[in-house]
Amino acid sequence: MNFAERMLHIDRRIIFLVIGVCTLLPLLYPVGLAIKVSSEVRGVHDYIESLPEGSVFLLSMDYDPASKPELYPQAVALLRHAFRKNLRVIGMTLWLPGTGLADQVMTQVAREMGKVSGKDYVFLGWSPGSGSLIINMGQDLYKAFPTDYYNQPTRELAVLKGIQTLRDVNYVVSLAAGTSGIETWYVYGKDKYKFELGGGCTGVIAPGLYPLLRSGQINGLIGGLRGAAEYEVLIGQKGRAVAGMDAQSATHFAIIVLVILCNVFYLLVKTSRKQGEAR
Amino acid sequence: MIFLRRQLPLVITFVTGVLFTAQYYVPHPRSELMLTEVTKWLQIIGGFALVLGVTSLFHIHAVKIRRKEPGWGYSLVLYAGIFGTIAVGFSYSFAAGQWVNGKETINGIMTAFGWIYLNMMVPLQGSMFALLAFFIASAAYRSFRARSREAALLLIAAVIVMMGRVPLGELLLPVSGDITQWILNVLNASVRRAILIGISLGAIALSLKIIFGIERAYLGGGKE
Repeated sequence: MNFAERMLHIDRRIIFLVIGVCTLLPLLYPVGLAIKVSSEVRGVHDYIESLPEGSVFLLSMDYDPASKPELYPQAVALLRHAFRKNLRVIGMTLWLPGTGLADQVMTQVAREMGKVSGKDYVFLGWSPGSGSLIINMGQDLYKAFPTDYYNQPTRELAVLKGIQTLRDVNYVVSLAAGTSGIETWYVYGKDKYKFELGGGCTGVIAPGLYPLLRSGQINGLIGGLRGAAEYEVLIGQKGRAVAGMDAQSATHFAIIVLVILCNVFYLLVKTSRKQGEAR
Repeated sequence: MIFLRRQLPLVITFVTGVLFTAQYYVPHPRSELMLTEVTKWLQIIGGFALVLGVTSLFHIHAVKIRRKEPGWGYSLVLYAGIFGTIAVGFSYSFAAGQWVNGKETINGIMTAFGWIYLNMMVPLQGSMFALLAFFIASAAYRSFRARSREAALLLIAAVIVMMGRVPLGELLLPVSGDITQWILNVLNASVRRAILIGISLGAIALSLKIIFGIERAYLGGGKE
């Protein structure tokens, strides 16, 4: 076995170590590379920016703890922006395991921005059904959620004054880690109840949502940690996502180098085999 | 009995299928009221699915433990986790002065249930997902090889997209960001759209077959 063959069968623990180091070092010693904002992320930002004070913004945090590193920073950035614009914020989730995280992020950002539950925002929590829940909210919000997450009757909440159905919501953003998520909100919600819809998602599912973006079914898309970092840049409040981009840069490059190396070794092995056969 | 097992479900499926397809195009208040009522039923049925899932999970792991199948110890851990979390979820929070009732926080005070969620479930699920990065890197090294022209093309596209999605890539190769956007917006979107159209046409065809009683697999088998 020559050097190239040995390198092709390298112990995978070495690769794990390279990735571990590439993740850890930039987190410990951040470089702070400039982040270019894409038109997809700007689409969500500009729409929220255009909403007048008191408009209704619904943030559906459709993810579980596994996707927290990518979607939690997106939720923080969106909520900061919405609260800064003095929008009336409705929070909810279609994913049962994400209820605690959604509650945590809403409470944390609301406290930071000096907002009061029931007056400036409401967290509705989770209810079963996904698609049917959205239809139910489109028909009558109070039948879908008679109480909020803290058991307060929704009809009595000041923040929901004048809101009867999803038709009264100005903008919905679904932060999705899969289905149920953005597509569910489009198919069962936007198509029938005609509100504007934006999306945020993990990097893995982002390419699958581009057809919705291109056709105007969603007006913007925040994809993965990169999208969250772009949003943080747009609102001028750098947070966890911007901090994580250096680590992502390093790991992406580590993978690129590994792929190039493996192909170089593969070609070397292939060439030496061909030469051996020719002899 | 055949009427109850076969004909009645077929009639119900046909009537509701036609009715709710038509309902979408009829914005009359009565039609909307009917939709509101039926979606409430669907939500209740969705709740039952959760019960069904938990019951099935209990059954599968009970069988594993009884037969002492390989890894049955993990099933015991699962039982301990489920019962422990349920017990804590129904417990009384002395700090908040209320029953926990499945809430992570009460009036800003974290409950024991919330502690389990934030300090056990969140890091465990996060760690499981984070492991993917290591395995993807290892798998890319072992299998991402230019064995053919198509594979080489895929490889080049992947490298460009990986560069274009991070600031370091855009710094080293400024055009990578624009090429990435073009790959995602044009090549990727058009292929995805074709797949979506195919899936949607399939879904429409299947729905029609179910409504008109051609597809009857949902009725199940068994004796009549």
